[in-house]
Amino acid sequence: MPPPAHAVRMLGITKRFPGVVALDDVSLEVRTGEVHAICGENGAGKSTLMKILSGVYGPDAGVLEVGGRAVRFSGTRDAEEAGIAIIHQELALVEDLPVAANVFLGRERRGALGLVDDRSMEAECAGLFEQLECTVSPRDRTGNLRVGDQQLVEIAKALSLDASIVVMDEPTSALTEAESARLERTIRRLVERGTTILYISHKMDEVFRLADRITVLRDGRHVRTVDRAATSPREVTGWMVGREIAGHGFHGARPRGDRLLEVRDLTLPWPEHPRGYRLRDIALDLHAGEILGIAGLMGAGRTELLEILFGAGEDTWSGSIRLHGRPVRFRHPREACAARVAMVTEDRKRLGLFADLDVAANVSLCALEEALRHGLLDRAAEDRLAEGPVRDTGVKTPGLHAPITGLSGGNQQKCIIGRWLLTRPEILLLDDPTRGIDVGAKAELYALIDRLCRQGLGVILTSSELPELLTLADRIVVLAEGRVTAEFPRAEATEARIMEAATAG
Amino acid sequence: MTPSTPPTTPPRGDAAARPRRTHLLGLRSGEWALVGAIVVAVVLTGLIDSNHSYFRLPWQSLTDILRNTALLGIFALGATVVIIAGGIDLSAGSMIALSGTVCATTMLVLAPQAMQSFKPVGGAVVAVGVAAALLTGFMVGTLHAWLITAVRLPPFIATLATLVGLRSFARALCESVTQAVTPTKSALVNVYDPIFKAVRENVWVPVTVFVLLALFTWVLLTRTVLGRHIHALGGNEQAARLAGIRTDNVKWFAYCFGAMTAALAGLFYVANESVAQPVNQGRGHELNAIAAAVVGGCSLSGGVGTVPGTVLGAVFLRVVIDAVSKIIKTGADVYEGLIVGIVVVIAVTFSQLGALARGGTRLLPGALGLCAIPTLAILAGAIASMTAGRNGGIATGVASLLLLGALRVWESRRAPA
Repeated sequence: MPPPAHAVRMLGITKRFPGVVALDDVSLEVRTGEVHAICGENGAGKSTLMKILSGVYGPDAGVLEVGGRAVRFSGTRDAEEAGIAIIHQELALVEDLPVAANVFLGRERRGALGLVDDRSMEAECAGLFEQLECTVSPRDRTGNLRVGDQQLVEIAKALSLDASIVVMDEPTSALTEAESARLERTIRRLVERGTTILYISHKMDEVFRLADRITVLRDGRHVRTVDRAATSPREVTGWMVGREIAGHGFHGARPRGDRLLEVRDLTLPWPEHPRGYRLRDIALDLHAGEILGIAGLMGAGRTELLEILFGAGEDTWSGSIRLHGRPVRFRHPREACAARVAMVTEDRKRLGLFADLDVAANVSLCALEEALRHGLLDRAAEDRLAEGPVRDTGVKTPGLHAPITGLSGGNQQKCIIGRWLLTRPEILLLDDPTRGIDVGAKAELYALIDRLCRQGLGVILTSSELPELLTLADRIVVLAEGRVTAEFPRAEATEARIMEAATAG
Repeated sequence: MTPSTPPTTPPRGDAAARPRRTHLLGLRSGEWALVGAIVVAVVLTGLIDSNHSYFRLPWQSLTDILRNTALLGIFALGATVVIIAGGIDLSAGSMIALSGTVCATTMLVLAPQAMQSFKPVGGAVVAVGVAAALLTGFMVGTLHAWLITAVRLPPFIATLATLVGLRSFARALCESVTQAVTPTKSALVNVYDPIFKAVRENVWVPVTVFVLLALFTWVLLTRTVLGRHIHALGGNEQAARLAGIRTDNVKWFAYCFGAMTAALAGLFYVANESVAQPVNQGRGHELNAIAAAVVGGCSLSGGVGTVPGTVLGAVFLRVVIDAVSKIIKTGADVYEGLIVGIVVVIAVTFSQLGALARGGTRLLPGALGLCAIPTLAILAGAIASMTAGRNGGIATGVASLLLLGALRVWESRRAPA
């Protein structure tokens, strides 16, 4: 029996959540055996659409056809049985179990006496890993794996299910370039086997390398579906945000001020690791009115470096940090705040947001002392306090007292930057501030960072995306395995040169 | 991705346009539901109770409920602060026993003659005893905070250790002091001082203390920086630390507040029972306090909870316990645990009714649901037969079976295959 022309057809899918229409009459046809990219800003409805496809949600209206037959899933199990596997952005693995046990979780093989047959699962798992160019042993503890390898474990799970449709939700957001390339080869191999791939991504270069067709969603509606050959990245980003975006750099013509920060011989030991250190002999300077970019692959030590500067890391480092020429050693973020150093952390949800507090309380948190009257918090004063940064950073919110979780990622990040602006920092540490934020909001954040820097702040910025550093930074320091391997002034930095330094042992 | 220009649209200035969401009299919907539930429970008790004690002896009934509510409420407020800060304090019941014992033994040491001959010991001695008890609360809170932040024990483990440890310590303390000061060693110390007697006979003392403490806690949680930091700590501990909050100090405060409210409650237990009795005083009551907080809307994962909620939760628990003892004419303590358990389950289920009604989840799914039907029916039947006689028990059991069976059939019909 020949396979049906369409692996998936979605007709008039509508999904409402309290207060929002997440999907409004979306129709989508995915041809069997193609790589179909789904693009859209955060909140465009991509993830909701995929959750409907994989049985997490039921649609409020509309028809879902898989393999030419109308289906109605009442759970992810049903979707798996229909041959659909989804690899979520946030990986769903049990960290304490070995890799093979995760691949077969819920479908464990049984041997004699009905006992779990680890050996056969490990053997099959090893076979799958071989196809995926993954060198991990099936017996390794999953939590010890790098994110890229964990993702391959999820893909191995999809393969072991014999899924004919694989959905990948922003799979490269946490991967190094090498891992991304490996993932691309894996996707091509899956396509050769006849698997249909639905690929969600923000990254246009990937989408244009991989996809056969591209669907753009915006605000829960289907904008259009086009052949890759018939469009361009700029056109697609334009559809995503509803307007054309022009390329523009923010560097240049920023007056550089006094030296704020001077780091010398900074070493952070790592006793349990064969390398012996997380950071070694780091030296860098930061001036007022300057954006210093820190490039490096995952695990290069970017976050560890910023955490030491902010007093949030382990207090075992040696070397010297001078602020305005005076040596400092922060043992708690409180001390860094008092010295006018602020840090916007990498993982917004885990390390930055307070989901139970509203927008105003999230913004005012670090400067509450200014909203006191007779020793008690004055709500009106707190609102006035929060209003300033909310307005200045351009947060779009239905109100100061809206729940912060209802805001988009970009607006949440602006709230957190606003929180720190209230502490009147001189140095702003930004650890991958635009991770998981859509294109339009990124542009707004770039403009904001540029503006702050022009007001005299010294900014240290790390990013997992090189174009971001090239767009914003005046100088770029490259870390590789805990050491500084290069430093480029903006004019000399190129993606190729940075990547070369970042992968230097 | 290509770098891009800032958007040309100016930032929207409507951020402050919408005012803070106001609640009727400051209570949230769940809290109004509790108020309604309390009124319903009182009215039903008044109607069903064959002795009509709410009509014949309204003052005595009110006094009973108020005293019990105040005693539970005082340390339920402590539990609330600890829970909002993202922790748990299992040791409150033992802290109550220890506090009473410390107070009584201190007075025994200072005024052995007067204590043994049941004569007044004097205000100064009582004051020292009370201060010693509260200081003990502070020290236990400090111990908890140290175990949790410096030794890095999970709060459940740290306070489980003190739950079992403190009661035993209190008993040992009682026996050593009585052996040293009185002719025989004893596992209890009688307290007949007129100050304690006055507290026992005047219900307004614990009620006033409870109301003042509730006001204090309410201001603390809603109107102080520390209160905001407690919410932040419970909502997201790592983010709180990275926002420059001294999370260890906030925890220290929360556990001290928890232990000191329990110590305060322990003093009222001694006054109420005219005895400090470390073996049984307050035993298991920490769970009632946690239950009051949870019924009042606290989330055990931290960051969420209110003082009015906990106060209403405590009132509701005591009203229902009182109602059951009035209606079925047993001692209040026989069914107390059962009532607290059922109320907690129903209150938390009630807050999830929305999800159940939307069809997201089923109450009686699969084989588990099938086994739950007879389990629940037998439980209901057994309770009914003990309280309302054999026929009532059988009727209740059969009715529950039929109702749950019908629910099961309805749920499986509704869910599309």
